[in-house]
Formats: sequence, structure tokens, C-alpha cells
Amino acid sequence: MKLTRRDLLAWSAGAAAGLIVTPVPWKVLDDTSIWSQNWPWIPQPARVPVEINQSHCTLCPKGCGLRVRMAAGWAVGVAGMKAHPISRGALCPLGFAAHQLKWHPQRLRAVRHHGNASSWSEAQAAFANAKSEGPVVIVDGDPGRAASAVFESFTEKNRGEYRVASAAESRALSPYQQWTSVPAASLGYDLENTQTVLSFGAPLLDGWGTPGFLTRLWAEKSAGTDAPQLRIIQIEPSLSRTAARAWKWMPIREGSESALASGLARVLLEQNLVPAHGPVPSIALSEAAAHSGLSEDDIRNLARVLVERRPTVAIAADENPSVAALNVVLGSVGARGGIVRRETISRAHISANTVIPNARAVLIDSSMPWDFVPQTDAEIFRFAAWNGGPTNADWLLPAPGFLEELTDVPTAPALPVETYAVAPALAKPAYELQSAAQFLAGTDSNLSSTEKIIHQRCAQLFRNRSGTLHGQEPIAIAKIESVQKLEEQLWKGAVWVGEAPAPARLPCELKEWPSETTLPHATGWTNSWDVPVLPPLASKLYIESSLREAPNWRNA
Amino acid sequence: MRSRRNAIAFAVGVVVALVLGWIIFPRVLYVKKSQPVDFLHKTHAEKSGVAECSECHIIRDDGSFAGLPAMEKCAACHADKVGDSKAEALLVNNYIKPGHETPWLVYSEQPANVWFSHAIHLKRANLACTECHSTYGEADQVRPYELNRISGYSRDIWGHSMSRLRRAPHEGMKMSDCENCHEKHGVDVGCLGCHQ
Repeated sequence: MKLTRRDLLAWSAGAAAGLIVTPVPWKVLDDTSIWSQNWPWIPQPARVPVEINQSHCTLCPKGCGLRVRMAAGWAVGVAGMKAHPISRGALCPLGFAAHQLKWHPQRLRAVRHHGNASSWSEAQAAFANAKSEGPVVIVDGDPGRAASAVFESFTEKNRGEYRVASAAESRALSPYQQWTSVPAASLGYDLENTQTVLSFGAPLLDGWGTPGFLTRLWAEKSAGTDAPQLRIIQIEPSLSRTAARAWKWMPIREGSESALASGLARVLLEQNLVPAHGPVPSIALSEAAAHSGLSEDDIRNLARVLVERRPTVAIAADENPSVAALNVVLGSVGARGGIVRRETISRAHISANTVIPNARAVLIDSSMPWDFVPQTDAEIFRFAAWNGGPTNADWLLPAPGFLEELTDVPTAPALPVETYAVAPALAKPAYELQSAAQFLAGTDSNLSSTEKIIHQRCAQLFRNRSGTLHGQEPIAIAKIESVQKLEEQLWKGAVWVGEAPAPARLPCELKEWPSETTLPHATGWTNSWDVPVLPPLASKLYIESSLREAPNWRNA
Repeated sequence: MRSRRNAIAFAVGVVVALVLGWIIFPRVLYVKKSQPVDFLHKTHAEKSGVAECSECHIIRDDGSFAGLPAMEKCAACHADKVGDSKAEALLVNNYIKPGHETPWLVYSEQPANVWFSHAIHLKRANLACTECHSTYGEADQVRPYELNRISGYSRDIWGHSMSRLRRAPHEGMKMSDCENCHEKHGVDVGCLGCHQ
């Protein structure tokens, strides 16, 4: 019998039909997917006993507590530290995936000069030359660290200029600096004692402040009840995650936040809902209503709600003098549940404007967001752990990334209490890296190292004998026997928390009502991270999940 | 006549595929490997009085699982030959005396992107070791290790049954097995519970 083409086709069809009901296609698919996870170029940690270390996140100034699993000097997993008194086990999605950043495809691995390969010695020589020819401006995105002290010291000695970029939470507090003479970096919101929060687009439940801090308060005092202890009123054009969870959401026209804040202040003063405080805004209620898209009755009702359950505090998404002035009218500045002054007064610094004239060199620390592009003729030395794309920097200098350098973690923006923690270098750097502070020390041997400054700060904390150290168990600093013991605890991931400030009225002088400003578009945690650094999957995972909350079940 | 001939060709194709898929494919996919030393849990339990798995497979104070005992643990009793079996000579001469860790083939080894806490499952969920690892610890002969040529992991992860039907409760350590057990016990840990 001769086999025909038709026989072969029938046989093939039968074989294909039969194959579907065998394990072959499904098993091969499954095994191939596992095989693809183990391709030789995918970094695999050694199969050694895993150590658990406690530390703090240094990817942004919020300093969340971390529980890091380490294998053979590699971070292989990150979770939130449940015992952390501020973040309470919550992390942002970037923090959860931070151990992967070491292998990020945009990781800076070598010194680049105008896009070409160069070396540290050439960069040092170019910087030393620039320093000798004119002033150096240093831009810092995370002020208050030991490295920041090195930058300040360097610029003071070399007649340069030290500039800082503040987080949006700190910028929202900056109007009070002018009215109270207290630097914005020393102010915070006493949200533990607040009963009503009026948010002008601030992403309160979406990464605002330290993740976990406000979401915990919301979970304890607001969630699932129509008569919450903590009322969050969200003023925002769109139904954001915060707006969806708020006690009340009031959609307004984009950019009308200042007009609404001024209109509210006018109602509060005209209807004697609050004692008279300084100037009355010139805006009429009808104008505020027209600008915001709310009715006059809505604004009157909102004003009454604000004084129903006090303390009340208004929070802007960014710098907004009208919202700040509304707090002055509400009597929330220097009051319990309002805006409070922390124990220690920080120094006020020059704000990091992008226009930098009259400088020979600009050194940008790796803490600055990549979208900070200085407008200057100076030679730019940019430190970064990850390359965010096109840049006008002359020198790109690879900086230590997550957990790769010893650094300290000062108080996060907008917190009412002071905190201090240390993030030791847990992971081995994979490349030849230098932080900006190390680089400067290479040009000036008289500069203190960050390590020395951290020791000095620990010694100062020990001498002050104030506050509590939150490690395995909270312990008063006064009960710690020696500075070495304190350092040992801090190096193991403990965090020092200062005494809560006693309510003390801040002398606040508001001479005239601020002119109307347009609020910058509110952004959450993504504002510091460009797309090349934050993969879309991370943001998707974050949006679809409940990572924002400090979960009570997670083994942190 | 032609349609009958087509049906026969089709049926032959089906049969060939079924034979290939269910009989030949598993034999090609898995390769049997021997452990470096024939280790018997039963012998250790009977002769050395090791009563609990946790005596050798310890959970550290911080909750992490030590996995297989290190060489020092074996060397504590086997610094010199105990008995004159071939396996004993192999263990002492090839591993203990030169100070090399024994390259055991781990039946339950999972990919590196999975975090599994033995402490939580044993202490919080009160699961017995045998619920996942069966009663292999009582076997009187060493099981061969069947290596999956594609994935590089043991057959124990998929389970012995290629169809995954009518498996014993301890058979299989796929993600779906974890999910099913979690669902059965009403424990939701999300993606990051294991992939953190």
C-alpha cells in the first residue's frame, strides 16, 4: 500500500489532536518559563543561608524602615519593617523592588565624560581645575544627611554655594518660613492629633509623606465609617485614590485651589466662625465659586465643616501661600493638631533653582531627581546611580545605589517629631563607585568623612539623653549605657525618635493676604523617578495592589 | 474507502502522539540522578535516636530555615567511619575528611524568586513536615533524584503524575499547589507574600 500525501496529512492532524491531550505542550511551556528565569546572564544569588538585616530606605528622603534579606552580600528581598514607628511596615513600590535596582539596565557603571568612557582620576583632575578657577555650586536633594554636612563644609571653605531641593511636602510648608521665621525644614504636621484634614490635591493616601504614616491613621480613624474620628476632605479635580477614600471629595476646576482657599478664609472671617486673624482676602465669595466651580453654598458649608471638628489643618500638594494663609486664619499654626515646630531648628538653605549663574562648576548629588536640569554655563558634575536619559551634564559619575554606602537618615519632610537612623552599607558595590561626599574628600583631605560625622551625630544624640530608640523594643535613650551601644543599635536598623513637641504657638505674622497662585499639578511618589528608573510594571503593581497600607499580616 | 483510510491514518497519528506524550516524553524529560551518598533518614532515626526533623533541619532564632544541615553536623558523629558500609566510606573519605560540603540534590528546591518561610508554616499554620515532604523520611531506600532537563529542577515540584490528576496531598510544589492550600485554609498573602 502506497502512502499518499493525504495519508500524511490525516496522520499529522491525528498526531496534533492527540498531542493536545498529552502533557507535552503544557509541560514544555511550563518548564520553558522556569528555564527562562535561570538564563546564565540573569544574576542568581548564591545558595547560602539568608540573613535578615534591618535598615532604612535611602531612595528618597522619607526613610522608611526596611527588612532586607541578604544572601552572600546581595540583597535578595525587601519588605517593610513593621516595628518602624513612622512607616509601620509600609513601603512604596520602588522600595519593595529596591533590591533589583542593582541590576537595573540603566545602572551607571563607569565614569562618562560627554558620553565617552573616562576615569575617576580624570574627573577628579577636571573638578580640581574647576574649583581653582571659580565658585562651585553643590545641589543636594536630601538635605540634613552627613553627606549634606560635607557639602556645606566644602562650599563654605571654597566660597561656593550649597543649594537644596525640597520635597513637595516641605515646599508646602515654605510660606510659613517667611511668616514665622522658622525654616520650613523644621516644621511638620501634627496629624496624630488632627480631626479634620482639608487637602488641596495632596496625595495623602497615595505616597504623601512617609508611606504608611497617614494611611495608618486613616485605617485606624477613618476607614469604613460615616462618622470618622479623622475627617479627610479632598479638594481635587479628579477622583484620585485619596479622593475615593476620603470622607468627602469636592471636585473643583484645576488650578483654582488658591481661589477656593481664599474664599474659604473670607467666609470664615465674615461669618465670625474663627477669631479675626490678620488681613481679609480680597476675593469675593462669588469669584471663588466661579473659579472653583463650586456653588457659594458649597463653600459656606465647607467653611462650617472645617470648624465643626477641630483641630483642622489644610494641606497643599506643593507650595501654595493661600492654603498656608488659610491655616493662619483657622488658628492651626503652632497649635495641637496643626502645624508645629520640631525641637531642633534646622538651617534655612538656598532653594535649588534650575538657573545657576556665576559658577565655574555645578556638582549635583545623586539624591537629586534626574529631571533637575540646571541652566548654567558651568561645568556640570552629576552623580547618579541610574542613568535617566539625555542630560546636559558634562560628567556622569556612578554613585553607590541602594544599600551600597553608609549614610544616615534624618527626619523625613513634614513629620512633627525628629527622627534619626543609619543605613549601613549592606551590599557590596558591583562597580567602582564614589558618592559625591567621597569625591569631594578626594579633592580636600581636610573634609570630614560621612562616617565620622555620623559618629559625631550619634555621640550628640547620646549626650542629649532625650527621645526613644525604637529597635527590637523601644528604649529611652537615657537608659542606654554608652554611645557604642547606641551606635550598635542604630547600625542594626533601630531608629531614634525625639520627644513630641509641646504645643507652643508660633508667632505668625501675616501682613497681607498672599496673591493668588496656580498650584502645580499634584504628583505622588513617582515625581522623583523618571520612567527609565521606575518600570511601568512597578507602578501597575502598585496601583492594582494595596501596598500603600501598612498591612498587619505582613511578617515584617 | 478513502474516508476510512483517512480515519485510520488520523487514529494512528493520535495513538502515536499519545504514546509519545504519555510514555516516551516523561522518560526523555526526566533524567535519574543518584545522591552523592546514600543517606537514609530511617537509619538515623533508628540508630541515632534522631526523633524530630528539626533536630537536623533547624529553624534559626530569626525564623529563617537552615535547610540541609552543614557538614559540621554530619562530622559530629561521622568524623571517623561509623560502620563499614560503602556509603559511610564515601561520606567520610570524599566529604568529611577533605572538609567539602556534600552536594546533595534537593528534591524540593524552588527557584530563587520564591520566598518560603518554614517557620510560618510549621509554627503559625501548624503543618506537619510530611504534609509537603511526605513520609520519605521513613523510607528504607534512597529515592533517585529525577532532574527535569528543561527547567533544571526536581520532578517533585511537578509531582510524579504527569497529568497532575489524583495526586496525593503532598505531591507537587507548584505555585498552584501553594495557592490551593492557601485558599483551602483561607490565608491570603498576595503576590509579595512569596515573591518579595
